[in-house]
Amino acid sequence: MRKNKNIIKELVKLRFQNLMMFRLGFFGPFFVDGSLFLIQLMVFEAVYSSVDSIGGWERGEMIIFIGTFSLINGLNMVLYFFGVNGIPDKIKSGEMDLYLTKPVSPLLRLTFENVNPGSIPLVLLSFGIIGYGILEGGITVTFWSMLKYFWWILLMTILWYEMEVIIRSMSFFVVSTTSIVSMESAGIDLCMKIPGVAFRGVYKIIFYCILPYGIMATFPTSALIGEDSLQMMLFGMGIVTIFGILTAVLWNRGIRRYHSPSS
Amino acid sequence: MRKYREIAVTYLKAQLVWRADVIFNMIFTIGKIIFARILWGAIFEGKEMVAGFTYHGMMSYYIISSFLSQIEMSGGISREISDRIRNGTFSRYMVIPVKIDRYFLAMEAGVVAFYMVFDLFAAGIWIFLFRIQFVFTGELLMIVGAFMMILLGLVFMVQLNYYLGLLTLKFQEIGTFLMIKDNLAAFVTGSMIPLVLLPAEIVAVMRVFPFYYVTYLPAMLLTGRCREEMAAGLLVLSGWCILMELINRRTYEAYRLKFDGVGI
Repeated sequence: MRKNKNIIKELVKLRFQNLMMFRLGFFGPFFVDGSLFLIQLMVFEAVYSSVDSIGGWERGEMIIFIGTFSLINGLNMVLYFFGVNGIPDKIKSGEMDLYLTKPVSPLLRLTFENVNPGSIPLVLLSFGIIGYGILEGGITVTFWSMLKYFWWILLMTILWYEMEVIIRSMSFFVVSTTSIVSMESAGIDLCMKIPGVAFRGVYKIIFYCILPYGIMATFPTSALIGEDSLQMMLFGMGIVTIFGILTAVLWNRGIRRYHSPSS
Repeated sequence: MRKYREIAVTYLKAQLVWRADVIFNMIFTIGKIIFARILWGAIFEGKEMVAGFTYHGMMSYYIISSFLSQIEMSGGISREISDRIRNGTFSRYMVIPVKIDRYFLAMEAGVVAFYMVFDLFAAGIWIFLFRIQFVFTGELLMIVGAFMMILLGLVFMVQLNYYLGLLTLKFQEIGTFLMIKDNLAAFVTGSMIPLVLLPAEIVAVMRVFPFYYVTYLPAMLLTGRCREEMAAGLLVLSGWCILMELINRRTYEAYRLKFDGVGI
């Protein structure tokens, strides 16, 4: 554990040194994703000018939902996205050899070697959006609801990580993951625009159980506004556990199956 | 003119190689339809009309706008130009006896002609599958006007992306700007929501810019709305196309000497 902590510290330090060489690109991800979520806010501002609620959620709750999705996405960008996203290329090019021969878990190194502090403002912007939503909706926030909210944020950040690793681990088994990654983007794109409470029937099954992006911002938002339940808690934790097991199985099998193209 | 026709035909034929891409392109038209169905399905619960749209009118708008945004594939042009400038192979386009902007226009025409058939087919499937009572204007003048606008809109987007690609001759990294442009374009062209939902003052400003006429207005015209905006729309969009043509010529002439190509 202590060894892993030191490795993560060194990886972050190295990444900082690398990023400082290209300062213009440092805040690139922030500007890209920041613009995306601000546009999302404008879209819902426009929609709410014609309706009072969507799936039972009013304007303030929807703003919190958008801010929450932005927060989880921001944490993803800061912590692991740029590392995990490189997995398919490393498998295809044989660069994975370098990770397997080092005395450290390959997944741990891949996860944290490309942290992106340039996305930290996105996390701050998200808190701003959430705060704005709380004020707009006149929502009473208690210590307990905040605690539950951050617990859900932690769980959903892990779930997002698991989904990213699962999808990119497919590169161990198939020639190209382009289509699967496109499917992931389509799922995220849809679920950042529509809160899970609006899903019905087959869509609910798909976006709650198969591609669980539908619960990622919905469950934390529900906890903050006091619409959560024990059933939701059990379901959410169950999904994170199941996808966690799936991640471990797929990754380990993939590593065993990996044949370096360079040897 | 013949050489540009050949370029278009070559690119049309080249699409046949990437069959999986065709299937995925068709499947991804469904993303916006599902978004519209879930979102507007929830909004229309217990309501007949929202912002002047019936549920089926709204779904028809999304079917058309999704089709239009799917055939607008010029984003790849700026990335192609940018990548080639950065790795020094843009000379490939400089040495052939064609005007580069027209080369990309012909390329886009070939690609769009190919995908249009399949995306039309996909739109038909979604209408049937989601049981949408498709709203489409019966007025010939509006159909002709909308098609002219769609054509001009596609030309404008090619010109814009060509211009953004050329900026790599001046700036080192334009990838971030391109991604921000994609985010903004999705909103201001009306492919996320019909622009009529925005405050009237913002819509009035948007009418001055070309994006309003790329997806939103043609989709509205084809669903039988905004007839009074058609003539002005065609004029404004034509003006922007001419302006972009002039800007592109000037930009290329000003910056082309900055290019250090491989083997030059």
